[in-house]
Amino acid sequence: MVLFGVDVDYLAFVVLFCVGLYMLVRKSNLLKKLLGLNVMETAVFAFLVTAGMIEGADPPIRTAGTGPLFANPIPHAMVLTGIVVAVSVTAVALALIVQIHAHYGTIEVDELKGLP
Amino acid sequence: MTFSWSQAVAWLPVLPLAAAALVPIVAQRNARAAGGFTFVVTLLTAALAVALTIRLVAEGPLTVHLGGWVAPYGIELRFDRLGAWSAPLATFFALVVPFAWRYLEGSVPRERWAAFYALMLLNLGGLIGFSLTVDLFNLFLAMEVVSISSYALVAVAGRGTAAWAALKYLLLGSVSSLLVLFAVALLFALTGSLNLFDVAARLAASEPSPAATLALASLAVAFVVKAALFPLHVWLPDAHAIAPSPVSAVLSGLVVKIGIVGLVRVMQLAGESGIALDVFSELLMLLGAVAIVMGAFLAIFQDDIKLMLAYSTISNIGYIVLGLGLAVPFAVSGALVHVFNHALIKVTLFLAAGSIIHQTGLRTLTDLRGVGRTLPQTCAAMTLGAMAIVGLPPTAGFISKWYIGLGAFSAGRVAYGFALVFGALFVFIYYVRMLNTFYFQRATREEVVAAVEPPWSMRGPVIALAAACLIVGLFGGILLAFITPAVGELLAAMGS
Amino acid sequence: MEVLDLRPLLAPLVSFACAALVVVARKNVFWRRFWSLCAAVLKLVVVLSMLPGTLAGAVYHTPVITLSPGVSIAFRADAYGLFFALVTSTLWVVTTIYAIGYMERAEQRARFFGFFAVCVSTTVGIAFAENLLTLLIFFELLTVATYPLVVHAETPEALRAGRIYLTYTMAGGAFVLAGSLMTLSAAGTLSFAHAGILGLDAGRATLAVIFMALVIGFGVKAAIMPLHGWLPIAMVAPTPVSALLHAVAVVKAGVFGITRVIYNVFGADLLGELGFASYLGALAACTILVASVMALRQDQLKRRLAYSTISQLAVAVLAASLLTPLAALAAVVHLANQAFAKITMFFGTGAVREMTGKTHASQLAGIGRQMPYTMGAFTVAALSFVGLPLFAGFKTKWYLSLGALHADAWWFLVVMLLSSLLNAAYWFPIIHRAYYGQRVAQPERSGRRQGAGLDVDRDAAGATAASAGGKREAPLVLLVPTLICAAYVILLGTTAAVPGMPTSIALIAVYETFGLAGPVR
Repeated sequence: MVLFGVDVDYLAFVVLFCVGLYMLVRKSNLLKKLLGLNVMETAVFAFLVTAGMIEGADPPIRTAGTGPLFANPIPHAMVLTGIVVAVSVTAVALALIVQIHAHYGTIEVDELKGLP
Repeated sequence: MTFSWSQAVAWLPVLPLAAAALVPIVAQRNARAAGGFTFVVTLLTAALAVALTIRLVAEGPLTVHLGGWVAPYGIELRFDRLGAWSAPLATFFALVVPFAWRYLEGSVPRERWAAFYALMLLNLGGLIGFSLTVDLFNLFLAMEVVSISSYALVAVAGRGTAAWAALKYLLLGSVSSLLVLFAVALLFALTGSLNLFDVAARLAASEPSPAATLALASLAVAFVVKAALFPLHVWLPDAHAIAPSPVSAVLSGLVVKIGIVGLVRVMQLAGESGIALDVFSELLMLLGAVAIVMGAFLAIFQDDIKLMLAYSTISNIGYIVLGLGLAVPFAVSGALVHVFNHALIKVTLFLAAGSIIHQTGLRTLTDLRGVGRTLPQTCAAMTLGAMAIVGLPPTAGFISKWYIGLGAFSAGRVAYGFALVFGALFVFIYYVRMLNTFYFQRATREEVVAAVEPPWSMRGPVIALAAACLIVGLFGGILLAFITPAVGELLAAMGS
Repeated sequence: MEVLDLRPLLAPLVSFACAALVVVARKNVFWRRFWSLCAAVLKLVVVLSMLPGTLAGAVYHTPVITLSPGVSIAFRADAYGLFFALVTSTLWVVTTIYAIGYMERAEQRARFFGFFAVCVSTTVGIAFAENLLTLLIFFELLTVATYPLVVHAETPEALRAGRIYLTYTMAGGAFVLAGSLMTLSAAGTLSFAHAGILGLDAGRATLAVIFMALVIGFGVKAAIMPLHGWLPIAMVAPTPVSALLHAVAVVKAGVFGITRVIYNVFGADLLGELGFASYLGALAACTILVASVMALRQDQLKRRLAYSTISQLAVAVLAASLLTPLAALAAVVHLANQAFAKITMFFGTGAVREMTGKTHASQLAGIGRQMPYTMGAFTVAALSFVGLPLFAGFKTKWYLSLGALHADAWWFLVVMLLSSLLNAAYWFPIIHRAYYGQRVAQPERSGRRQGAGLDVDRDAAGATAASAGGKREAPLVLLVPTLICAAYVILLGTTAAVPGMPTSIALIAVYETFGLAGPVR
């Protein structure tokens, strides 16, 4: 489906990315910032999978029934790896947020800024 | 299977990465042994990298395709003159790790030592992988290995302030990583390939599209963030100053260079695919010149010596970026030589500063008055490092400043030449302040009067590095001769 | 005739090695003094050993490291370099002896003498530099090595002076760096040549920028107004350091650099065509007069000396900028003439301060009767500055005036005359007061030697003698260097044509530069 001359999938990606970026920049709560980051990551993954899509093609799993057209498997592999990376980053970030909370007693950036 | 040097290229990143997994097992018996084990691994990696470098000079670039798949489908590692950066990388780690043995005793809880050493090895593996791979997706992966281990290393000392600095670093770092991933996805969507040179060739063969330019631009922005180029430097000072000193040395000297290596890759990509980089180059030059001055200017107001060193990194990244942006042979060679020189000097300075902090427990200039008399060797190393970072002849920093400046003047960019030459003066103001407090003021703190020189496992690396600052200054021509062919190739591609 | 020889490299290296040994000796007084003297004497020996060869027309050179084509660290002892090296290394021997006496009770002497020796090394490095890069390296090293000497007292005042000194000189170094880089990109080489290395094809604008960068860079150290601000302030340093800064190393390195730029980077012909040198000459002429007037207004002796230095250095710069052989000769010999006379004055001032604690010109009434030898030497130097025949200063003025006439610069004679009058106006009152002045009843400020309570016998005698207006001469270790320098001033003034004396080397330097075969007419 095409909207404003651009594939709607790509528009969805852009919107999602911007929503994530907005959360990351504007929210004061560290957890919300992290969620914003995750939304951005999801946007990029969605874009990556879309890039490998071919209209009317089968999944890239070769069985007796698959036709000559099948989707590009490399983006799927990349997204899987990317998700692993994203999970790692999220894990590290959560661990850091826990430590920040233990030390400062808050995870609001507004309050953290004033503290030593 | 018979041994071949090409296969050894694959071992270079794999060795530290695999060893990182073993560190916790070694550490279960004895936390100290983990340090020894890590040292041995870094030493082996360094030896292998040096052997490969010798091979490279004799026979030319070495390539290996992981899993036996040929390029463009397989993953290619290439040990060329740019990839030879992994040799100094591993060598610096082999000097930082022994320094960390005793340093950790005072600053990191014992139960986290295993994590520290494992993260250091991961970091090294990632850095090496990043400088070797010509596969775009692997570039992203290696970058993430480095980034995640860096975030964790900043926080490894375990205080809340460190966690907060690490999280700031993480949030900005992750956005830039995402931009890289996005760019890789875009390039893949455009060309169906991930091999850097294959992508470039396919881009060159197809119609020029704004999407390709967008991809390169987002790559560039991402790497500029990683390099902490002004004004995208905000994450750097806190993270580098709060981390334990060996980590600061690695972050400031080596990890920020990811951004620079990345920028070189962008230049390669753009050059081979025929996308004009003029605007981009102009922007790099401008930001570089501004960074030189602003980094130095901000550093002047710091009282904390590590914070001061962190800001000076921003200034030095400015030199490198300015050199890259000038895109003339002398300047780019000078910039790439400065990638090495700045690493050398900054590791020296951070380790020396770490020694001072470790021996006195103090870290501000106000407190450290007169420390030059109680820690003469460490402070002498610090002085030599300071001279080198200012670019006083005949130290390592002078060589790079000389060639970048020569490039600027020979390209007719007189204003940038002057910015470079006089930016260094700003830098000098704060190092003079440091040397004045060290040598020409009376001690006001008892900790300073009672301080003694650090143990040899810490002093040795510092002295060796300081000596290297001087030696490289005298024989910098060799580095330049080594890198010049690679620069020639890079610029030839960009010129076509 | 070029000769490959290690000695141009050896000369700076020897002093550098000795500097390391001074620091190693640290607390051991004998070895520290021994190595300090060694640094000065050995270097003088090395430099002297090159003298016969240079007189016979040989030019020794030592390539060290090539960085990239056209850029190397190399040493070359041509006649001009040797002349400068000879002046500085001779002076260094006497200054070191003086410093050993003067700094007897100071703190941190290992640091002081270590860096003192490094300064020797770098100055000779400047003299023997084969190209701009080598010159720049030693120029910057000199800045770094003199800094600990300037701030030696470690007082807030000294630290402030040091900061100002560094700001000026580092900025100067940056200008030299920029100028060198532009020279390299315009000429493709940095090696000094007698006819210069730059050509008109580089473009007038570029050449103007290069000239300005290099002249500003070296001009900071040569203290040309308005770049002189650091020099009077740096006077807080101990007297031997002031002597070193003002008479021997730092300022002379600046003048030496400017002459190298004029004759060996640009070349007299090119500069004559471009006409830049006349601007420099005008600036120098202003400096001569303004600095002399400023000197008149200073009561503190060391500050008066500082402004006198600024004025005298400008004489050398002015001479160099006239671009005629005779004026060039004047510029070269003035390096030596000014150095010996000025250092005599510094030694004298230091000795007076040491013995009586007096630092101002107005306090010196009767000092000539107390310290006859010291003030005698001081008088010789003053007469030289005024330019009386038989004294070194006269030689400079003579060649200069001839050179100026050759260059049709008659206004220059007026400047010279005014300068002589001004010199007389600020030196003669001091001398008059010293010999004929009546001591005003003012509370006697004690010198360091009295306050320290050591040298009991001399002090006890001195205290009574001083109050009675009798003799109270400086100790030999301070007096002998002063007298040697004063003797040199007369020697330089009387033996111009004797082969082997400094003037003969200066002549060779001028022949070389201008490609002349016969004596300068």
